[in-house]
Amino acid sequence: MRWTITLIADAMSFEELEHTADIRVRVKAGSLEDLFSEAARALMVIMYGVADPGTMRLHVEVQGRDTISLMHAFLSEVLFVSEVKEMVVSGAKVRLSGIDLEGVLCGEVFSREKHLSGMEVKGISFSDLSIVRDNHTYTLEVTFDV
Amino acid sequence: MLQGITRIGPFEWEVPVGFVAGMRVPGRFFLSDQLVETLEPGAVQQLANVATMPGIVKNSLAMPDIHWGYGFPIGGVAAFGMDEGVISPGGVGFDINCGVRILSTPLSVKDLTKKRELLEDLFAAVPTGVGAKSTLRLDAKELTGMLTNGARWAVKHGYGIEEDIRHCEEQGALANADPSAVSQKARQRGMPQSGTLGAGNHFLEIQVVQEIYDQEAARAFGISAGQICVMIHCGSRGLGHQVCTDHLKILEAATKKFGITLPDRQLACAPLSSPEGRAYFGAMASSANYAWANRQVIMHMVRGVFARMFSLAYEEMHLIYDVAHNVAKFEEHQIDGRRIKVCVHRKGATRAFGPGSPNLPAEYDQVGQPVIIPGSMGTSSYLLHGTEIAMDRTFGSTCHGAGRVMSRTKAKKQLSGHEVKEALARKGILIRTHHNGAIADEAPDVYKPSDEVVRVVHEAGISRYVARFTPLGVIKG
Repeated sequence: MRWTITLIADAMSFEELEHTADIRVRVKAGSLEDLFSEAARALMVIMYGVADPGTMRLHVEVQGRDTISLMHAFLSEVLFVSEVKEMVVSGAKVRLSGIDLEGVLCGEVFSREKHLSGMEVKGISFSDLSIVRDNHTYTLEVTFDV
Repeated sequence: MLQGITRIGPFEWEVPVGFVAGMRVPGRFFLSDQLVETLEPGAVQQLANVATMPGIVKNSLAMPDIHWGYGFPIGGVAAFGMDEGVISPGGVGFDINCGVRILSTPLSVKDLTKKRELLEDLFAAVPTGVGAKSTLRLDAKELTGMLTNGARWAVKHGYGIEEDIRHCEEQGALANADPSAVSQKARQRGMPQSGTLGAGNHFLEIQVVQEIYDQEAARAFGISAGQICVMIHCGSRGLGHQVCTDHLKILEAATKKFGITLPDRQLACAPLSSPEGRAYFGAMASSANYAWANRQVIMHMVRGVFARMFSLAYEEMHLIYDVAHNVAKFEEHQIDGRRIKVCVHRKGATRAFGPGSPNLPAEYDQVGQPVIIPGSMGTSSYLLHGTEIAMDRTFGSTCHGAGRVMSRTKAKKQLSGHEVKEALARKGILIRTHHNGAIADEAPDVYKPSDEVVRVVHEAGISRYVARFTPLGVIKG
């Protein structure tokens, strides 16, 4: 068990892929823990246009049945938190234990002056949600319903 | 056309059993030659995937606005038998009862001398966009009332009149809603968002009746050429989204528990009679009711603005009808000569019940149900009526809109929100939004031509033209 400190970089760690109706993104990271963090940030950038580091911190705990459903549960939780706590998540410090995830979400308070240039995400789709490891790179592809 | 798909009528195509392993029934979809070019292989694959689900009856169907979604394709319709059948959030979507309603006014274009002012007043009255907060102050009990009684809750609390309820699909509330199946998380999201328009493709539009095709039906629906109307498009907001997320997880486990094999995890489902299936239905119906209440409250705000600005009486503005686009419902249909109760899933499709169908108000009984098809921003919207052919061929269903052809990524790269806004202004269509990015994303060019989609459902007979509306002012979330 270890804590991974995610570095919040300005550079985009994800790219948008072609999808007619919704938003599909590909996220890359050097570890599975970082992949969760970067996936959260990708979701927030899609929703709010920017996801800058801030002083807000929130504890997060989710479970899945496998890594795919764990990612689904985690991103769904980030979506929930962002809406209910009015938090724009810029990353996460997470630890993984099998199909359990525990950690801290980092970010800033939502502001209608700053965060209106994205689009509302309704949910995280299971369709074609994939996580692939290639040597030292983990790649996530996921579709956000908008 | 994709290999293996055969044409079975001027506007109808069949996906044979075997196109995807495990299909139980053929798939069928409606498209014209012009729209065939827009058909995505992924959407056909999803249509075929639906045909593998247990208890599916007759056909897996898609309307001419078919496009690639998740789980079901957008435009997908499927009915499941009560004994063997299943229920799936993938056949409803995250935005449960995303739907549309249209309100008529006694005004004509010449009355709209202050269109910009009207649009600004509507924008101020209706909470719109990401993070917008409700002006309603709901407690837990009132939210439960909303989840149980839908539009009836809103009318009871002064947000409408009795006639409004009769002019909603299902009278604005699905029976057997079970608010106890709606999680605290969903309630937390729903509480501050009731009576808000939302964002994305949701909109509020001032329109004029441009053309009447069927005078008798138009009379029954209470509209005439030149009349000003208001269209409202939104759904169950974060509450419905959370219900879908919560129950997707439950139904994923149920899929495994009941030994159901599926080609897509988003099609996670459970038998209709199972505790998991019943819980999802109860929560989904609650969310649908929340959406009906939501549209009712928004329409009340719109009526308030028109009443103030034009000195109109509330009762002079009539709800023509309200339809759901994303929902699963129990309905009776004639199948193989027998009347059978089924669970019809419509995901990006509209109910289009024909004349004499149960559940229609007396004033629409001879004509059939009003069917509202919103166009993309800046293009025509249509009012149609349901038909016997729809009852026979599509479980009383038709299209729900134009259907996207351009990804949002491409739209953002190719189109400037400011330029789209200016181009529409030159056509006399004013747009009001918090951010121009939302305009590029929903520009007319990213959708199939709504005229052609509607022509297909008219020619195929699964609904028939009544009137065409053109936009004058649009509020985008």
